[in-house]
Amino acid sequence: MTKKPALITGISELAPQKNPAGQRTLALLAQAARLAIEDAALQKRDIDGLLVTPPSEDSAFMWPAQVAEYLGLAPAFLNMVELGGASAAGAVARAAMLVERGICENCLCLSGGVWDSQVFNTLQGKMSVMSQAEIDYELPYLPMGFNTGYALIARRHMQLYGTTPEQMAKIAVDQRFNALQNPLALFNQAPLTIEEVLQSPLITDPLHLLEIVRPCSGAAAAVVSRSKSEANTHTAVSVLGWGEACTHNSIVYAPEITISPVKQSARRAFAMAGLKPADIELLSLYDCYPITVIITLEDAGFCAKGEGGCFVADNDLTYRGDFPCNTHGGQLSMGQASFAGGMSHIIEVVRQLRGEAGERQVARNRLAFVNGNGGVMSTESSLILGRAEDE
Amino acid sequence: MSDQTRKYHQYLNQGELWLQYCLNCKKYIFYPRSHCPVCWQSELEWRKSQGKGRVYSYSIIYAQSMTDHEVPYIYSLVTLEEGVRLATHIVECDPKEVYVDMPVEMAIRKIGEQLMPVFKPAAPV
Ligand SMILES: [Zn+2]
Repeated sequence: MTKKPALITGISELAPQKNPAGQRTLALLAQAARLAIEDAALQKRDIDGLLVTPPSEDSAFMWPAQVAEYLGLAPAFLNMVELGGASAAGAVARAAMLVERGICENCLCLSGGVWDSQVFNTLQGKMSVMSQAEIDYELPYLPMGFNTGYALIARRHMQLYGTTPEQMAKIAVDQRFNALQNPLALFNQAPLTIEEVLQSPLITDPLHLLEIVRPCSGAAAAVVSRSKSEANTHTAVSVLGWGEACTHNSIVYAPEITISPVKQSARRAFAMAGLKPADIELLSLYDCYPITVIITLEDAGFCAKGEGGCFVADNDLTYRGDFPCNTHGGQLSMGQASFAGGMSHIIEVVRQLRGEAGERQVARNRLAFVNGNGGVMSTESSLILGRAEDE
Repeated sequence: MSDQTRKYHQYLNQGELWLQYCLNCKKYIFYPRSHCPVCWQSELEWRKSQGKGRVYSYSIIYAQSMTDHEVPYIYSLVTLEEGVRLATHIVECDPKEVYVDMPVEMAIRKIGEQLMPVFKPAAPV
């Protein structure tokens, strides 16, 4: 790499919360921001860039300025990143560009929101995350939101490649094992078995209840910097490569629903980093459902197309396994704290690369692949992160 | 509602499924819109669909909090012979019988307040 890559110098993550009562997105973001700059050993005045994921209960109009005002920031660059679940990874990629171009010294990537089922489980709430085309041509048929979109992908993947319910369930099971060592995870009390997953109610076939992410509230942040503060004792993490791609908004119009834009986003990320999938030691893949992980593994090149199901069955995805993936428990066990769900994958990899993952620390922790996924495998943002000392 | 969506419903209310056809690309497009998403030309002609297709994928929905629609029902993506794919229901079909690639034919049914195209297993030839 010719140019010095941008560094992730600070992180924060609030514990996901089931109960939205009394919570405000701006307050959650403020808390995450404060913890992230403390982690980076920076002062508020050092932050000159602000990238923020979309609001939940607030108006989206002028949202970056609303957040900057609330936090008393006067950034040299501010923007809202809206790529659905890929927003957090997309924010880190954009921050890396800003830092490498010399526009910002320290860019704060803020993600989070309040999930209120009383609001979002209504028709009005469902329509608020739909395009007009989805409202006109899909909503009349009563899909169960994103769940049904991923169910369609899973069903076709099963048909084309012989992927089994047991293989999909195993992802939730391995990730739960990881979550048992994560005090922040919503579901960290008891292990899970494949039988328990498959015996949980079928919601939108072939997806069972325990294969569907639990929305909740929370926030998480990352500081992307040109250099590390002298007072910062953490190992810095380099943003070695990133790539983005989008082939559709609604899954109805995806060119082939079992092939995701990860194919392009990962290829771009690996090309930028000058690395290949075999170099990667640790993965953190957006897991709104197990099928998302299977397809991401295939399309990012960790296994051949169609072999993702067998791959997860044959490999141990736990932190002590041969192929550690979603060592924080993934969002399936962590809970999906709105847009911070996507950030959780980045935060966990930074902890692992720093060697600060405690009981769930992996042994090989130099290079990691992170994937953010938005919509129904619509937008993808892939990141390759590495321990900065090793360059 | 866009002009194109209004037109789509006018045809459905007459009991027919009509699709936009791009005169430049010589291909059907879906959903209806102002410009062809391939060539960005706006010379789009409405043509009547034959209403035949195959199940591209499906999901049997067992839990639905949003409405009082009877469960389970078969939500599906169907690829029409005209080459476009749309979201729909498979009706008059036991959920155990539906499969990917199943030949289907269109029927128009009321879902909620609207007449919408749905599909049923194609009659054996
Ligand atoms: Zn055209």
